[in-house]
Amino acid sequence: MNGFFDTFKHDSWVMPYLRKYRFLLVLVLLLGFLTTFTGSALMFTSGYLISRAAQHPFNIMLIYATIVLVRAFGIARPSFKYAERLTSHNWVLRIVSDFRKKLYQSVERDAVAIRQRHQTGDILGLLAEDIAHIENLYLRTVFPLIVGWLLYLFVVIALGTFSWPFAALMALLLGVIVILMPLVSVALNGAREFHQKKTQQRLYTSMTDAVLGVSDWMISGREKDFMDHQTGPLTDMRDLQTADNKFQWWRDLVVQLMIGVIAVVMIYWAGSYFQTSHLALNWIAAFVLAIFPATDAFASIPQGVSEWPVYQDSIKRVNQLDQNIVAPVAQTHLAAEDFESLTIDHVDFKYADGQQAVLSDIDWTINRGDKVALLGPSGTGKSTLLKLMLGDEQPTQGTVKLNGITIDKLQEDRGKLFGVLDQQPYLFNTTIINNVRLGNLSATDDQVKAAIKAVELEQLVEKLPNGYNTLVEEAGARFSGGERQRFALARILLQDAPIIILDEPTVSLDPITEHELLNTIFDLLKDKTIIWVTHHLEGITHVDSVRFLEHGQFEMIGKPHELYQTSDRFRSLYDLDKGR
Amino acid sequence: MIDRRIFRLPGITKMLIVLAGLVLLQAFSILFQGVFLSRTLTDLWNREAETRILWPVLLFAGFFALRQILVMLKNRVMQPWADQTVFDLRQQLLQKLVAIGPSIVAKQGTGKVVTMALDGMNQVNTYLMLVVIKIFDMMIIPTVLLVYLFFLRWQEALFLLVIFPVIILFMIILGYAARDKANREFASYTQLSNNFVDALRGLPTLKQLGLSEAYADNIYAVSEDHRKRVMGTLTIAILSTFALDFFTTLSIAVVAVFLGLGLVAGHIALFPALTILILAPEYFLPIRNFANDYHATLNGKNALTAVLEVLNTPVPTDRNLLTDQQATWTSESQLRLEHVNFGYDKPDETALTDISFTANGYQKIGIIGPSGSGKSTLINLLGGFLTPNNQDAGRISINGVTVPHLSQQAWQRQFLYIPQAPYLFHATLADNIKFYTPDADDAAVSQAIASAGLTDWVATLPEGLQTEIGEGARGVSGGQAQRIALARAFLDQSRRILLFDEPTAHLDIETEVGLKETIKPVFANHLVFFATHRLHWLNEMDYLLVIEHGRVVEQGTPDALAKQNGAYTALRREMGGDAL
Repeated sequence: MNGFFDTFKHDSWVMPYLRKYRFLLVLVLLLGFLTTFTGSALMFTSGYLISRAAQHPFNIMLIYATIVLVRAFGIARPSFKYAERLTSHNWVLRIVSDFRKKLYQSVERDAVAIRQRHQTGDILGLLAEDIAHIENLYLRTVFPLIVGWLLYLFVVIALGTFSWPFAALMALLLGVIVILMPLVSVALNGAREFHQKKTQQRLYTSMTDAVLGVSDWMISGREKDFMDHQTGPLTDMRDLQTADNKFQWWRDLVVQLMIGVIAVVMIYWAGSYFQTSHLALNWIAAFVLAIFPATDAFASIPQGVSEWPVYQDSIKRVNQLDQNIVAPVAQTHLAAEDFESLTIDHVDFKYADGQQAVLSDIDWTINRGDKVALLGPSGTGKSTLLKLMLGDEQPTQGTVKLNGITIDKLQEDRGKLFGVLDQQPYLFNTTIINNVRLGNLSATDDQVKAAIKAVELEQLVEKLPNGYNTLVEEAGARFSGGERQRFALARILLQDAPIIILDEPTVSLDPITEHELLNTIFDLLKDKTIIWVTHHLEGITHVDSVRFLEHGQFEMIGKPHELYQTSDRFRSLYDLDKGR
Repeated sequence: MIDRRIFRLPGITKMLIVLAGLVLLQAFSILFQGVFLSRTLTDLWNREAETRILWPVLLFAGFFALRQILVMLKNRVMQPWADQTVFDLRQQLLQKLVAIGPSIVAKQGTGKVVTMALDGMNQVNTYLMLVVIKIFDMMIIPTVLLVYLFFLRWQEALFLLVIFPVIILFMIILGYAARDKANREFASYTQLSNNFVDALRGLPTLKQLGLSEAYADNIYAVSEDHRKRVMGTLTIAILSTFALDFFTTLSIAVVAVFLGLGLVAGHIALFPALTILILAPEYFLPIRNFANDYHATLNGKNALTAVLEVLNTPVPTDRNLLTDQQATWTSESQLRLEHVNFGYDKPDETALTDISFTANGYQKIGIIGPSGSGKSTLINLLGGFLTPNNQDAGRISINGVTVPHLSQQAWQRQFLYIPQAPYLFHATLADNIKFYTPDADDAAVSQAIASAGLTDWVATLPEGLQTEIGEGARGVSGGQAQRIALARAFLDQSRRILLFDEPTAHLDIETEVGLKETIKPVFANHLVFFATHRLHWLNEMDYLLVIEHGRVVEQGTPDALAKQNGAYTALRREMGGDAL
């Protein structure tokens, strides 16, 4: 139980929403209660009606009220159920809207940190899944549990008005179903859940190995090893699932047998309690028959509760998102047209968990209109330097300033000051025109089209069946790498920021496409300040100055044609690039 | 309603016979449970002695327990079969994968194949369990109960018989009305959840454009808008469930009132009336259960379709036309392709057309061309990952033996394939290097590591060669991954052919220079196919295939091609770009 309360100690994902939408919540629970109640009441009144009718009352009016009730409950139950389903869906969908916004904001706040901890986009899918889990927590665990308990309370109190000892006995027997079995389930299932997760993970890696490494398996001729490799986790998974199912069957059997016991106890109690008069006899069938629909509501509780460990994990994970909030820095403003210089002053940098300094004592001033290239082997801190310039990371020592203002104070303006073209610019799953317009939301259609024309995509787009309104499909899959970069470039043109950062934008392109793209970029952005990180020397003539970063420091600085004359290293790399 | 494909799964017939027997037994338990409950209640109502009701109560309890035990037995019969079927399907899927190779993964998408093998198969399991049992329940239980009810009192039995098809009819009508709308909503739902993940994945881009904070409100607005539309549809969509619920509940109420009136008029006694009242809900229970799970099983049905589609993909046959001896590559060997065509799914479009060339001994053959020209397709064809179409037109021969395709197991044992991003398995570094030669000793591995230039890096690893790498473990840079692939080549001396597909395209120039020095020695005593768009590699080649639009437009030695002033010189000029 400790774990249960710990989960909610710093919770901002479950409880606040239960409070926020409490009226709707009460309605959902009430309708859930009424559904089961009217279901039971139908059998109760029917049982009474038939028994009473069997006594041949001389006047039909004596049972007329019961007949009306039977019909009323017959109609009420499905109606309540219908209303309950609608309201509970409505409730959950409202929460989903809130969750999406909240999750987005959490991720937005530490997008940089998240990307560092998890290299792939998997974490995002995982978080989206967590939200789905929390939705299910409400629908499958919280609602049935509370409705079940309400009903439990109602049954015990109602029976208490007849006989307290009998009510106590029923409280005990029903308690086995609504309290003991859920606890046992969650205790036993917790361990299995853990085991199952590990096996699932193992299966996932072995499947990924199978799928992504399939060409290696195929040509290695190790087909037998391949199958053996998979059989282990597959068998474990099957056995685990069988064990899990067996547990569920046994538990459900125990619950059902308990219901049987309750029915028998009810028969004996009602049989002796209602012997007092001729008319009282009619209540026997009513009470006994009402049990079965009521127990439907109880029987689903143990399963819902036993899913708790899955939900608990998700709640913990999303709550963790809120834990690394950095204190905000007071923001100031700088107009785009006022930008004069970007100064990196004696900057040292090392990651919080790293031993070695990534950058040491970097000095660099970039003035308005400069075109500079930054080179160096992978892992020497080029990307880190860019993050420092953008304010995504803070230097361990020294400062990064724009016109003398430290960059962390200009974060609100960064969209106005910096345009970034990186290795994989993201195209959103919307139309082409909307994607490009993201550069400047107030741009007119004509301005967007002009930008698309400037990046030489006009013909391509106009040839598409839906033209500018064509959907780009998942992450821009319908366009080639070069075309995607051009769309992103069009976005940057609309954005019209004074500083452009090019972070290896041509890395996955072939030389011809690369060559053409670079020509377009430098032609269109000739008035801008350009900081270009590149992985090789193609197009290096576009810049005024080249810097080689190695071991956290600048090893070589100069104009391209001068370096070609003076530096053997530069010349040999350049010649290699040219195929000489 | 029922999926015919289930009946084609192995082992089903015997299991279905056992299952039918159990369901029949269960139907009678339900019947007797109701009868004896009714008997008990009637006896109590008649103020019989306590001893008189002992037997009916015991029999009621006994049949109630038997019924619940049968539920478990049905599961126990079905589950091993379902588990085994899923286990087999998974294995068949894997066998298919390794038989067909990477082309099937490329066609389906990596993520989809892994999901299909994991979650998809779990859904199939649920589907098999639910659908078979519930359909049997629905066919057998109501029938048995109805036959008995006809003997008891034909009027109510007739009503129950007539109402059954009416319920199904209403469900179908309402279901159809709601389905189209619901389907559209579902599509919009998937789109919405994709949009949400889309926004999360595109967050860095939104941040670069300065839009990330404002976008949160957009997410909320879109989600709320979606909620309203979903609620609109849901109101109609769950009407079919409502109709089912309404008719079954109301039918019970109607039966109760009928019986009440019959009793008053003295047409019927209490015992049969109570029995009918008790059995009426049981009569409707199976169809309600079926309807409840219907939607839950849809995913499983789709997953089954997806996996069967993959399993029905034809596997290349005649994979063993070559003996190892015939395939063995030596300095005297020859591979000939004459007029070979290849096309992906569209028959009228060929990706490779009229490919003819001859590779002799340890030639180094460079494959160059603009991106999208078919370089990788040719490499995949040579590796046997793709098989050429209209085999009558083209001819492939290895050492004089004609084969329909190169998916020959003996041929595949002759080469190593090194793509742009070699796949690293989730295993130790040593196991990764020994992938093609699992029996290699440590000394040989150390030697291979030294040749691949990995010794220094291995020394920095905490556990040296035993360090786990690959998915979910330690990250390895692109350059190191290439070196690991090369170490495999150094280790496996029996494979005399190397297929390279753009091995250095994404590396920075200095890493590439280092890697090139490592790769060059491997070329000795190997037939090399090297697809690239990096010009400097061409200096290492002694024969070139120039590809444009899927055709070999020029072939010959680099010197000969340079003199021709044709496609090769044009391509080189274009790729070369500007010069200093």
